[in-house]
Amino acid sequence: MSQQTPIKLIPRNVAALRRGQPPAAGAATVPGNPASTRLESGVGNCFPGLECDLRNLERRFFPFLEVDIQDTEIDVVSVDIPGVQDAASNDQIPPNIAATYRQINTGVSQGQRWTITQMRGTYGPLGVRTLDIARLRSPSMGPDRLPPDAWTAIRLLTEGTEVQLTLRQGNTTRSLVGNRARYLDDNGALAKMFLPGELTQSLCSPWTHDFRDCGCFYWASNHPDIALPVLPAASPFPPPPEANLYVPWERKDRTINTLPEPATINVPVELSHYEINSQWQTLNFVLEGRETVAPYMPGGFTASKFANMAELVTNLRYAAGVELAVIHEYLAAAYSLRVVGVPAAAQDDVDAARDEIMRITYGEMRHIRAVNDVLRALDPAGFVPALGVASAVPATEPGRFNPVVPRAATPEAIQAFIDIEKPSIGVDGLYSRVLVTLEDLGSDEMRHTIRSVIADGESHFETFSFIQEWLNRHDPLDYLTKPDAVVALASNTLHQKLQQEYRSLLERLSNGYTLGIPAGASAINTARNAMLGPTGLDGAAEALAAAGFLVAFDRITDDARFAPVDHP
Amino acid sequence: MMAPLTVIGGDAAAPLFKVFHSALGKHLLIVPHSRIFDLPHDPDRDADAQVLPPSLVAALADTATGEVPLDHVVAPAPQSISLNVSSSCNLSCSYCYAARGSFQGAQPDPMSWETARAAIDKLLCGAERFSPVTVGFLGGEPFVNRSLIHRAVEYAAEQGDNLGLDVRFSVTTNGTLLNEEDVELMRTHRFAVTVSVDGGERIQNLQRPAFGGSRGSYERMVGATRPLLADPGLALVAARATVARGEFNLQERFEAVLSIGFREMGFAPLRSARADGGALRDEDWPEYLAEMIALAKAELERVYHGIPIRFSNLAVALKQLHRGASSPYPCGAGGGYFSVAANGDWYACHRAIGSPAFQLGTNDALDLNRRAGFLAARHVHSQPACQRCWARYLCSGGCHQEASNRNDSSCGFIRGWLEFCLAAYCELSANRPEVLDLGNAA
Repeated sequence: MSQQTPIKLIPRNVAALRRGQPPAAGAATVPGNPASTRLESGVGNCFPGLECDLRNLERRFFPFLEVDIQDTEIDVVSVDIPGVQDAASNDQIPPNIAATYRQINTGVSQGQRWTITQMRGTYGPLGVRTLDIARLRSPSMGPDRLPPDAWTAIRLLTEGTEVQLTLRQGNTTRSLVGNRARYLDDNGALAKMFLPGELTQSLCSPWTHDFRDCGCFYWASNHPDIALPVLPAASPFPPPPEANLYVPWERKDRTINTLPEPATINVPVELSHYEINSQWQTLNFVLEGRETVAPYMPGGFTASKFANMAELVTNLRYAAGVELAVIHEYLAAAYSLRVVGVPAAAQDDVDAARDEIMRITYGEMRHIRAVNDVLRALDPAGFVPALGVASAVPATEPGRFNPVVPRAATPEAIQAFIDIEKPSIGVDGLYSRVLVTLEDLGSDEMRHTIRSVIADGESHFETFSFIQEWLNRHDPLDYLTKPDAVVALASNTLHQKLQQEYRSLLERLSNGYTLGIPAGASAINTARNAMLGPTGLDGAAEALAAAGFLVAFDRITDDARFAPVDHP
Repeated sequence: MMAPLTVIGGDAAAPLFKVFHSALGKHLLIVPHSRIFDLPHDPDRDADAQVLPPSLVAALADTATGEVPLDHVVAPAPQSISLNVSSSCNLSCSYCYAARGSFQGAQPDPMSWETARAAIDKLLCGAERFSPVTVGFLGGEPFVNRSLIHRAVEYAAEQGDNLGLDVRFSVTTNGTLLNEEDVELMRTHRFAVTVSVDGGERIQNLQRPAFGGSRGSYERMVGATRPLLADPGLALVAARATVARGEFNLQERFEAVLSIGFREMGFAPLRSARADGGALRDEDWPEYLAEMIALAKAELERVYHGIPIRFSNLAVALKQLHRGASSPYPCGAGGGYFSVAANGDWYACHRAIGSPAFQLGTNDALDLNRRAGFLAARHVHSQPACQRCWARYLCSGGCHQEASNRNDSSCGFIRGWLEFCLAAYCELSANRPEVLDLGNAA
């Protein structure tokens, strides 16, 4: 990383926290999750949904009570006495109810067990019922079915409806009436009754024993089933192909001098439960998908800077042109995929491929805007929108360029798209140079903008790899309207309609970008809306593709604003 | 914020930050306002002056909302006073700065009730409402004038109630004269009691003999403080040891004093004394530092096992670093604190009774011009030796009375101790933050 990269300072004492905060905020003790739960400290989790335990919401379903829920038991664990007193003094609850709350609180604080035995309320589709909690059973079927357990029963209670509880401690029985609590406030935020940390308090940690038991990408990404092996010492870059085959992470053979056998060759011999409990420390750290035994060194940008502002601006204008050029290529490919007449076995793959290519294309559209924003910020007075298409795009070899060729989504075309989105080369390499130059010449905001473009590129690369996998399962004749489709003649009215839509789109964008935000917002929004629907750019492209032609855009030579740009 | 009497700018070349290390890694101390940050671990970059952008450092060093700028000289209302109630002592410690309370003849008589009451009235009338007010008792041995202490406490407590003030008390005593009524007085009022105890029996008797030289004071001190230590009530009781050159043995002294029943103990090195009085010399400071750190490490080991810190110097340092204590003055002398001599003169410091330069007023009035001059002269920005020291707002130049003895060796001790405490603070705040959750850190 370069010397100019901002240093991340983590405040440690109150005075450090106080800088930039109201004085009281710095000293307040904040209950809740520790710093290790911050996103940046966390690990990616392959299995979504493990970030919080929604069952904890039900612990506060009844006003002023916190309960513990087991299968067919609901026990009171605490009473919000300040809340009760507040409500009582405002006549929101009658004195006898307040007294009941206090009695339960006294009992619970002395170790007595107060159990909710009966619960009457509106159970959503099951209607109004009185449930004996201990008698709930699973499964419960038919028209008179009941919730199978206590938690489901509480979950079914309609928000805001009246709930009557019968609570018992020993031979003492008490009743409480209240409305089923709202878990969210009017702004959609968690209600204040939930304390920080409460929703995550019951999450499990992946114990070593479970590594062995739970398979198939369930655990966090640093505890995978399979991982890329440790790179051999003095490994060349890129690593040899055999170092890019996934190996079983929990393999029994812990020798490190040879590459482990890939996970796909044989059923892997893994550590037993006992072994993994006693030898967990021999499991390697997994970072970025690869086992690591040496100190981790994050990769840095090695891109070279542009010499000066003029060179930076020229390259940014070219970058916008490259975005436009790849949009041309991606749209041609996307619209070449069949919408109708796809064999059933290929339907899902083809639909997914088309949607994903379109999603990537939308991303490239946003990049054009991002690059123009940076250009405007670099020179607000002299800004001219960059909307000329690149005459050629960077190739896989540095310094080489490929012409922009609209073509159907053939296997060769998809491979070419993968190449252009490859990290650190192609377009990504261009933006890396922009980024390092902006460290001297640009602002933090500009760098963030370019970083997000680079990050998008990495995801585009990955997505095209998936698209390749999906489409390669099928015969191109099954998923392409016409594998050898060509560009329509200039006289073709469908082609002409597309060109008109495209030209009008560029005009609107040019106007919007020139005015800037907020003045140009209306023009930019109009441009976006004009792309959609049967009467828009989309409709024109669909019609042309359905007629068996490639969706292609003519070179514009009569308007300097949209004239092709050559690579610098 | 209070308007400054004057503003004394710092040295433009003074360091604004210091990088230090702990077991966690590298940290950054922003010198003004004592802000502590963790620095990222980056093997390719040595996070020091070359890569910390000056604009960032300057922004972090800025005074935040609610903080007092460090170049201001302000004269707040006095919030605490000490009353020199006695001018004599039943012990005759060799290093006594007060010459047993007589201050070399400047304070020949004990304080009268009228003088004490006038001082208390002046304090309570002027004090700021929302902070505690402290009335302290010093001497000589304060309990030589027991009746005045009792009367003053009852009076100040009652007046404080009437005025809605949170009045607290403090006393520094040799502990040998405490009787049942004294103990009860301290138990029932919010007293900070500092007992001067230098160590176990041998060292205590050696350094703190009874007046007349015939016997030591250890046994009487232990006997008289026992009831208070056993049941301190509202009082906070701590031992404070003076360490002269020759034999340090801090660990041994610490254990000996705690075994008496004290729950915390602090050490103060003897920096100035008469020619043969045992003040530490240049060659002594490294060893003294080493012993302080060794004791602190042993104490931290216990803290990690859940035992509260008993070593006052360490506890205070950690607390101060946690809140980001940062001041151009080492104490409240002449600012929020005054010491009232037996004759009713108000001095900036209890150690300076009889010294004209420190006499800033009387029970009748404080002399604002003299205060302004005193405070400006003692602002750390006015101390040539301190101006470019990274520890300037933590040490603030040290005790005014001892400033003339300051040199590289004694300052080296301060910096060494602070550097140790900075690292200990970071480690403790990462591993046992609850220990530092002192409730009133703001």
